[in-house]
Amino acid sequence: MTAEQDNKALAGEYVLGLLEGEAKMTVERRIASDADFAREVEAWRSRLAAFDDTADPRAAGDTLWSRIEAGLSGSPARAPETQSLWSRFWDSLPALRVAALGSSVAVLLLAVGLSFAIRAANQQPVMVAVLVDGNRTGAVVHTFADGRVVLLPLAQIDVPPGRAIEVWTLPSRERGPVSVGLMSRAQTLQLSLKDLPAPKPDQLFELTLEPATGSPTGRPTGPILFKGNTALAL
Amino acid sequence: MTAATPTDSATEAQVAAAIARCAAGEKAALRVIYDIEAQRMVGVARRMLRRQDLAEEAVQDAFMRVWRSARTFDPQKGAARSWLYAILRNCALTILRDESRFSADEDAAEEAAPMSESALARLPETSALRRCLERLDAKRRSVVVLAYVHGLSHGELAGKLGVPLGTVKSWVRRSLISLQECMG
Repeated sequence: MTAEQDNKALAGEYVLGLLEGEAKMTVERRIASDADFAREVEAWRSRLAAFDDTADPRAAGDTLWSRIEAGLSGSPARAPETQSLWSRFWDSLPALRVAALGSSVAVLLLAVGLSFAIRAANQQPVMVAVLVDGNRTGAVVHTFADGRVVLLPLAQIDVPPGRAIEVWTLPSRERGPVSVGLMSRAQTLQLSLKDLPAPKPDQLFELTLEPATGSPTGRPTGPILFKGNTALAL
Repeated sequence: MTAATPTDSATEAQVAAAIARCAAGEKAALRVIYDIEAQRMVGVARRMLRRQDLAEEAVQDAFMRVWRSARTFDPQKGAARSWLYAILRNCALTILRDESRFSADEDAAEEAAPMSESALARLPETSALRRCLERLDAKRRSVVVLAYVHGLSHGELAGKLGVPLGTVKSWVRRSLISLQECMG
């Protein structure tokens, strides 16, 4: 193998994605400093580009775009939005504050029942998920007929400094877990499912412990605190 | 039969112009690139990562990088789409090589295990890449396809093809040299 062939093969290996660690960094430095070598890399990219056009197009909807757009503005994405939704919810439904403090389902249902007696028919959850960890019940997720989905904690959750509780749901295996809420401590939270299909029976909800600004990857990274599946309310 | 959409020079020009507008800080231009390329990009990433959620994550990372480094794109040095897809592939490989994340997710793979011949068969009959790859014997051809299209590492190639690592490395280099000589 001549030195020239060696160079071309090295550029090709880089474009194939086969270089790792030190070898990859060395090549990247060389691309920046050696114009001839950079041209070899570019030549490989254009030789192999035809493969990229053989991939089937896959769904890339407005949800993915909004995640990208949220990143551009430099805002910490989900956290403030969840907070403001939560605040509005809190203002409009003060009775749920009582509910959040209640430590049993009975107290909770009583509070909800009393405060919404007039609109009781609308306020019954159409679906309930009880989130558990073994024998311990941690929270319930109520889906209401008007589309609101609300998480009500039923247990204290220890959140270490710099961490937060993130709420996830799995709308489909294909889609994977989607973040629907973030909170610094266990509290009643209206979940943000507006970009998702309405929850279906047997849909997974779970709480994980994540960094304070939410999972850095957009998928659960920390330990699962509680989880459970939705069921139709009788 | 091929799933490839011919990339005409108009698309290339649109993407190049949009990258230039991104460099000037125009967010709407990033959306233009998204509308033209995002579905294909998710498809490319999904062949490597085998899951929709990870593929979307790679595309998200790629668009962030496109936005941040749009000023470094130099149309004198290369094509706009090839720049875009190089960024995407880097983002996908970063996720793919993060073993702590990926091995745990292996069970959830949605795509079938990679088959080197399927991507090859989708190349247009007239493609120089296809013609030149077909001149190589099957195993030497497959290392190129599996690495580029499906993101396999040297170690994974050796495992899949049942040959020692040194053999795989030498096949890769010889295949690349033949391919370069054939395609020019």
